[in-house]
Amino acid sequence: MDPQSLQSIIGIAQVLLVLIFGLVCLNLYLVFRLKDIDPFAKWNPNKINGTLFLVFLVVGLIAAVVSTGAWSDYYILITNPASAHGIQIDRMFMNTSIVAAFVTIVTNGLLFYFAWRYRSKDKNQKAYYLAHNNKLEYLWTGIPAVVLTILIVDGIFTWNNIMGDPPQDAIEVEINAKQFDWTFRYPGADMDFGATKVAFINEGAGNMLGFDVNDSKGLDDVVTRELHFPVNTDITLNIKSRDVLHSPTLPHFRVKMDAVPGMPTHFTFRPTVTTDSMRIIRNNPEFDYEMSCQQICGGGHWNMRAIVVVETMEEYQAWLREQKTDKPYFAVTAGDKDNSSDIAENENADQSNVKVDGSVSMNQ
Amino acid sequence: MSTMAHEGNGTFHDELHHHAEDHHGHHHHGNFWTNYVFSQDHKVIAKQFMITGIVMAIIGIFLSLLFRIQLAFPNESFAFMHAILGDWAPDGRLDPNFYLALVTMHGTIMVFFVLTAGLSGTFSNFLIPLQIGARDMASGFINMLSYWFFFVSSVIMLISLFLPTGPASGGWTIYPPLSALPQAVPGSGMGMTLWLISMALFIASSLMGSINYVTTVLNLRTPGLTLNRLPLTIVAFFLTAVIGILSFPVLFSAALLLMFDRLLGTSFYLSDIFIGGELLHYSGGSPVLFQHLFWFLGHPEVYIVLLPALGIASEVISVHSRKPIFGYNFMVLSMLAIGVLSFIVWAHHMFVSGMNPFLGTVFMIFTLVIAVPSAIKAFNYIATLWRGNIQFTPPMLFAIGLVSFFITGGITGVYLGNAALDIPLHDTYFVTAHFHLVMGSASAFGFFAGIYHWFPKFFGRRLNPRLGYIHFWGTFVSLYLVFFPMHFMGFGGVARHYYSNTAFTFMEVFVDLQGFITFAAILGFLVQFTFLANFFYSIFFGKKSTENPWKANTLEWTTPVNPGHGNWPGEIPHVYRGPYEYSRPDVKEDYLPQHIPDEEVERADGFPEHEVPPKRESSPVEVKEVDEE
Repeated sequence: MDPQSLQSIIGIAQVLLVLIFGLVCLNLYLVFRLKDIDPFAKWNPNKINGTLFLVFLVVGLIAAVVSTGAWSDYYILITNPASAHGIQIDRMFMNTSIVAAFVTIVTNGLLFYFAWRYRSKDKNQKAYYLAHNNKLEYLWTGIPAVVLTILIVDGIFTWNNIMGDPPQDAIEVEINAKQFDWTFRYPGADMDFGATKVAFINEGAGNMLGFDVNDSKGLDDVVTRELHFPVNTDITLNIKSRDVLHSPTLPHFRVKMDAVPGMPTHFTFRPTVTTDSMRIIRNNPEFDYEMSCQQICGGGHWNMRAIVVVETMEEYQAWLREQKTDKPYFAVTAGDKDNSSDIAENENADQSNVKVDGSVSMNQ
Repeated sequence: MSTMAHEGNGTFHDELHHHAEDHHGHHHHGNFWTNYVFSQDHKVIAKQFMITGIVMAIIGIFLSLLFRIQLAFPNESFAFMHAILGDWAPDGRLDPNFYLALVTMHGTIMVFFVLTAGLSGTFSNFLIPLQIGARDMASGFINMLSYWFFFVSSVIMLISLFLPTGPASGGWTIYPPLSALPQAVPGSGMGMTLWLISMALFIASSLMGSINYVTTVLNLRTPGLTLNRLPLTIVAFFLTAVIGILSFPVLFSAALLLMFDRLLGTSFYLSDIFIGGELLHYSGGSPVLFQHLFWFLGHPEVYIVLLPALGIASEVISVHSRKPIFGYNFMVLSMLAIGVLSFIVWAHHMFVSGMNPFLGTVFMIFTLVIAVPSAIKAFNYIATLWRGNIQFTPPMLFAIGLVSFFITGGITGVYLGNAALDIPLHDTYFVTAHFHLVMGSASAFGFFAGIYHWFPKFFGRRLNPRLGYIHFWGTFVSLYLVFFPMHFMGFGGVARHYYSNTAFTFMEVFVDLQGFITFAAILGFLVQFTFLANFFYSIFFGKKSTENPWKANTLEWTTPVNPGHGNWPGEIPHVYRGPYEYSRPDVKEDYLPQHIPDEEVERADGFPEHEVPPKRESSPVEVKEVDEE
């Protein structure tokens, strides 16, 4: 018998089984209905539902614990942080989790246990008349308040730490988001970005980032499709978008910040684990850090992937040197370059468009 | 105010009388159109909201199943998808743009049309007059308009599903520039315009409803029903209406400015945009401004959805535990605190939006403070069960399930409210799990608890309890199976709104889990048919109910089995005590309705009659006292 007809026979058999099952149910129902028999008359709903709550509590708790453990290999967001502040975040995550797990288990436990324990056994019996108890109320107002205060204080310090002023010597990397990919820009040998503006974008000429073609500081800027960071060095991401909101996310580094058209944003962090080390830690030679978009941005939102590489400073600089910097659409040439970069060093003026603080510069 | 209430009732009687005379007694119940379609009776309007809400819920949940199938089988094609969706699923696979459209419409329909209008519209309309002893809402006409605005708004939203460019696709939060630019996603064309028109009508409907609820609760209470004797349902509906009145207009202004950007070329939210190969003229706008305006409604909206459900749970748990709700005053105070705080936490949705990080600190503090009143409520529910005489009726099951979802989903808010933890977790499935449990599932269970509890008052018949048990356990288990594993995907960094998890190695590993969730979701959807069958069958053929089937204390159970226009055939009962006097040791029965004067209460054995206070003191509270409230 060929597989196709076998499959159709199995299909027909399945349909028949369902039909037979349905007919049997209908038959039983009609018989009970006609003879006025109630097969479940002796079932006590209070007893059954009360018991089911207890069963749900026990089975649910076991299932929750086992399944949480079963997937734990894939919890990249809360294990093996690859950045300095990621360690702090993960520590706070664990503290919060201990509190949360305790509260969830105790309160759900009491809820279902009481439901079972105080199920009505006798309709004529009365409940215990207890309308309020202010001491208890103060107790369970006070305890959550104290615990939450501890978590808040921890959270505030960590948040301010992460969002504080970036160190002067941080390496600046620019992330340019658009539908539906990322382009990265490194300042190049002069350690300075050339001016860019959305209005200067000229896709036909290849000027995708909108370089000011008269600003020679841009000539040596390195434009890439991969992100490379030197390990144990502070990195400041300058994040821009030219169309809609995006949200560059580096989950392994606990980094996420929206890209907002018209308003550059920033995130400073320090990668602490190289890609090679992480491959060993995760016991996966194929492992790569990845960057994704996590703010809904259109049909290709799910597919905005970029590889992130963390390497030693030497490897990083070697990689940077290898990158092509030719930009044929520039009006100025390399000859003018030395001139203007001197001026820029003195005046430092053109940097303003990437240096301004995102939070206050939205109208600039 | 109470004098006004008296006058109001008097006028109402006169009106009825007058009406009857006009038509020589024939039509004093009106014709089909005025009775069932353009009715001004709050009970009919409540049923209209309920049926519309249920229809919208079926549509909303069905849309979610379509995209769940895509998530479970990102590389498979299904002939039926093509059959249902045509060009939106070429080769039997969803189009990525239409995937976003489905997500957006699922969110919009569930949040606004089901859990806001469906829940508040149904129960505020039905219960406020019945539980406070009023003949009807303060303005029956505005109440009717409220429903019809909602109806038209629903129709427009559903029409947008059939546009060739698809419905709105920017997520239910419609952040610009995505929602402003048709070049960015096709749904931002006509679909977004219809979304905005529909929401404008929806906001008008919501405001008309809310103003009516507030006015009615303040002015039309029966004598003796002081504010501190209100059932917690009414307190919840009242606060919900106040929150709605204060926050929905802000959403309207946000939508209006977005409309200007789209149609008139203004730049409120847009700046420096190069898209589709051309530079747009917008300059100086801020997408972050929209987020502030949106979430100024958006966060109170969460409580607009949740508070009515919590109010219903308070009532149901007390009635079916045969025990007073524990800590009535603290329940009211915590709802009040939640109501106030809900207005100053909005930016916790925006920690990584690029706004000034200092704002993050402030909003983190208020956000975690709001967890305290929420915790009080959860503890009080549990304390109410303690040493109760629990009757596991279907409404009670749903109310207990609600508390469980409220706890399990609420606790993850402590992670997300913490700005530092929000950096990695923001816009992952952890967030999806959080709000689907605490807002979606808990509120849906509030809706079910309410339907099962008040069905006898709605239709004069009983629902089949056994189908109710099956419905509860099937829904309860499947909702946990759907949303609990989403936490794992959150820990794995899986992003929301992804058409497929296959593009990233760290997300790809969860495709199997997505499949499991999809099966659980389909199971949960199928279980709802036990409810639908039960519901529609019982409306017409259910067992006839008695006047007070649950032996509850509140006033709605003093009306006839099928209350007519005006609710009480005779005089409106007066109120002599709070609504939660269950299992009082000095009373013979295990309940003590609000409308029975102390001297008529049948005492339990061993509690002599002479303990009853003299008659004068137990008469209804004087007019002046109500006035002071």
